[in-house]
Amino acid sequence: MAIFRQPPSGLELQDQVAQLYTETREDVYRYLLTLGVHPPKAQEAVQEVFLRLYTSLKKGEKIESLRGWVFRVAHNYGLKVRARQSTEERFDPAFEARLVAPTANAERDLLDREKMTRLNTAVEGLSEQQKRVLFLRMEGLRYPEIASTLGISASAVGEFLRRALLRLKKVRDE
Amino acid sequence: MSSVFERHPEHELVPYLDGELSRQQAKKVSGHLESCGRCRAELEELQNAVADCASYRTAIVAQTSAAPAPWRDLYRDFSRIDESLANNSLLVRLMRPLVHSGVPRWAFVAGLTVLIVLLSLNQLRQAPSVQAATLLRKAVAVSGSQPRPAHRIRVRSSRHADFTRAANVPAVLVEVAQAQAVAALFQKADWNWNDPLSARSFEQWRDRQVHKTDEVSAVQDPQEPSEKLTRIRTASPEGDVEAASITLDTANYDAVSERLEFRDSEWVELSEIAETPTDNAGGSGVDSVGVPVRAAEPPSRPAAFTPGSPASISDELQVLSALNGIGADLGDPVEVALADGKVMVTGPADIPAGRQSEIRASVASLPRVEVAFNSLPAVSSLASAGAPAAGTATSPAETRLEKHLGHAEFDRVSTQLLDLDDAAMQRVFALRRLALKFPDEAALSPRDLNVLRDLSRKHAAVLSQEVGSMEKILIPTLSSLGGAAVSVPATAHAGWQPAAEDVYLSARRVEVLISQTLGMTPGKASPSELMTALSQLQANLDDCQRALK
Repeated sequence: MAIFRQPPSGLELQDQVAQLYTETREDVYRYLLTLGVHPPKAQEAVQEVFLRLYTSLKKGEKIESLRGWVFRVAHNYGLKVRARQSTEERFDPAFEARLVAPTANAERDLLDREKMTRLNTAVEGLSEQQKRVLFLRMEGLRYPEIASTLGISASAVGEFLRRALLRLKKVRDE
Repeated sequence: MSSVFERHPEHELVPYLDGELSRQQAKKVSGHLESCGRCRAELEELQNAVADCASYRTAIVAQTSAAPAPWRDLYRDFSRIDESLANNSLLVRLMRPLVHSGVPRWAFVAGLTVLIVLLSLNQLRQAPSVQAATLLRKAVAVSGSQPRPAHRIRVRSSRHADFTRAANVPAVLVEVAQAQAVAALFQKADWNWNDPLSARSFEQWRDRQVHKTDEVSAVQDPQEPSEKLTRIRTASPEGDVEAASITLDTANYDAVSERLEFRDSEWVELSEIAETPTDNAGGSGVDSVGVPVRAAEPPSRPAAFTPGSPASISDELQVLSALNGIGADLGDPVEVALADGKVMVTGPADIPAGRQSEIRASVASLPRVEVAFNSLPAVSSLASAGAPAAGTATSPAETRLEKHLGHAEFDRVSTQLLDLDDAAMQRVFALRRLALKFPDEAALSPRDLNVLRDLSRKHAAVLSQEVGSMEKILIPTLSSLGGAAVSVPATAHAGWQPAAEDVYLSARRVEVLISQTLGMTPGKASPSELMTALSQLQANLDDCQRALK
C-alpha cells in the first residue's frame, strides 16, 4: 500500500486516489452490502468515502494505510446509512451467494452449491462482530487495520476470527 | 509476566496462520507445534476453514451483482474539492469583492468589526435551546465528516463498579456484570449503548423530549485549563432520564464527557480516556455536575522511595496497579518485568496507538519506568507441521445442547458463554501472574502488601461474579439435560498463591469442557462433568478469597 510520506502534487494526488478508487471500489461496495446497506446507497457511500479520502489527503492528513482508512471510514459511514434506512428491510447480500454459477458438471455444481449453502448458513450464524472481522479479513486487511476499523484491539480481532473459523470448521465437519 | 505458552496456544493459532504474530511469538508457537500433535491437527483444521473462506469469498465476488449505476468519474469532484478548499475561508470570500471594489482598508476593517459585533449579539440573543440544537448539529456534522480514531471511554455509575470500553463500536465482546447493568439502563432509556458518548446519541435522545429545558455553559477542562469546553445540559419531565449533560471540546466538538441522571436518582458518567499523558489537576473550574476523571489516577508512591535507587518490587507493584486501573492487565499483551534497574513495560507494536498512549499515560508519573512497544516484523509464512490431522468429533453434549435450545438460542448462549469465559480467563491469568510473581509476601512492606492484596482481591471478586454468571446460564440447561454436580471440597490453603494455582487449573478445566460442550473442541463432555467443574472452580475461588482476606 502506498504511503504518502511527501505530499504529492495536485494532479499526482488525484491520479493516486483515482487509481485506488478503481482498484478498491468493488471490495468496499461488497463490504457495505454485507453491512446491510442497499446497493444504490452503498455505491453512493463508496464514492463519498473516496472523495473524503481525497479531501483529507489534500488537507495534508498523514495516512499510513490508505486501504485501511477507506474501509474504516466506509464502515462508519455504512453504519450511519444503515441506521437511516432502518425502516426499510435490511439488504441481504448473502442471498445471492447461495447460488453457484452453473457449469457443465451438474454433480459438481450440486456439491458446490451444498457447500456454499452450508458455509453461508454458518456465516449468517456468526455474531455481527465476528462477521465484520471475517469479511474485513477476507478483503485482505491486516489485524491492526481491522482493529482500527472496528475500534477493538488486534488481539480481539484474532479472537473473533478464531471463533468465526471454529464455527465454519464445525459446519465443515457436519 | 508469565508467558502464554504454558498452555496450548489455541488463541494464537489463527494470528499465527495469518502471519500476525511477532517473530518471537511465532517462534514459540512453532516450537510448541513441533511437539504437540493436538495443536498441529487444530492448525490444519483452521487452514481448511481458511480455504473454505477463500472459496466463499470467490463465490460472493462472482455472484454479487454489479453496482446499480456506472461508477462516477471522480476527477470532476476532485476539481470541485480543490476549488472549495481554496475558497473555504469565509474571510477570503468576504474580502474578495471588497478588495476588488476599491473600498479603503479602514472601511473594510470597520465593517468587519460591526459584522462580528452583530453576529456576537445575535449569538447572545439566541435562546439556550437554539444554542444547544445548533451546537449539537455542528458536533454531529463534524463527527460524521471526521471519524475519530479508536479510543476508549470510562464508565462510572452510582451503583456499579467502574469499567472501560471501546467507544463507538457495538458492545459485544465483554458485556459482563456491571457493563450489562449499565447497558440495561441505557436500553431502557432508549439511549444508544453502542455509541453512548457522542453528540449524535445525545441529540437523538434530546430530540425525543417534548418539554425540555436546555442550559449551555462554558466550562474549563480540569486537566488542561487552557482548553475550553462547552456543556449542554438538558432536563426533561418525561422518560427515564431526568437530565443529561454532554461536554464538548469547543475547538473540535469532540464529546469529552457525559452524565445521565435517571429519575430513580441513579447516575452514570461517561468520559473519554485521554490519549496523552496528563496530570490530574483535580476538579476546578467546573460546575456542580463535575467532569469525571479523564485519565487513570496514578497510585500513591510507596513509603520506601529513595530517589536514584534502582527499581524495586515496590515500583513494579505500582506499575501493575496503574495498569490495572486502565484494564491493561486483562487481555492486552503487555509484559511487566524488572530489568536493568527499571520497571520495563513492553508490548507488541500492533497495540492501537490510542491504547499505547493510555498505557504510557497510566505509568507516566511513576519513576524508573520504561515503556516500549517493539516493532518486530510479523512472519508471513507458516512453519511446516508434519503430523496428519486427527479427526474431530462432535461432542454428544453439543448435539443435545443445540437440539435442546434450538439453533438461534444456542448461538446466543454460546456467544455469551464464550465472552464470559474469555473475560474470566483473563482474570484467572491476571491473578495467577500476581501469585507467581509475588510468591513470598514476607519480603514486602505493609504498603506493598496492601497493593498486592487489593489487586488480587479485585481480580478474585470480579472472577467470582463472572463464574456466577456462567453458572446462571449453564446450570438450568445442563440440569434439564440430566446433569448434576458432584460436590468436591476445595483444598484449604494457608496462602492465596497456591489457592490461585488451583483456581487456574480448575478454570482451565472449565474452559476445555465449555469448549467441548459447544462443539468447538473435539472431546466428550457430559453435562455433569461441566457442572462439577464449575462447582470445583467456585469452591477453589472461595478458598482463594478466604486466604486473601
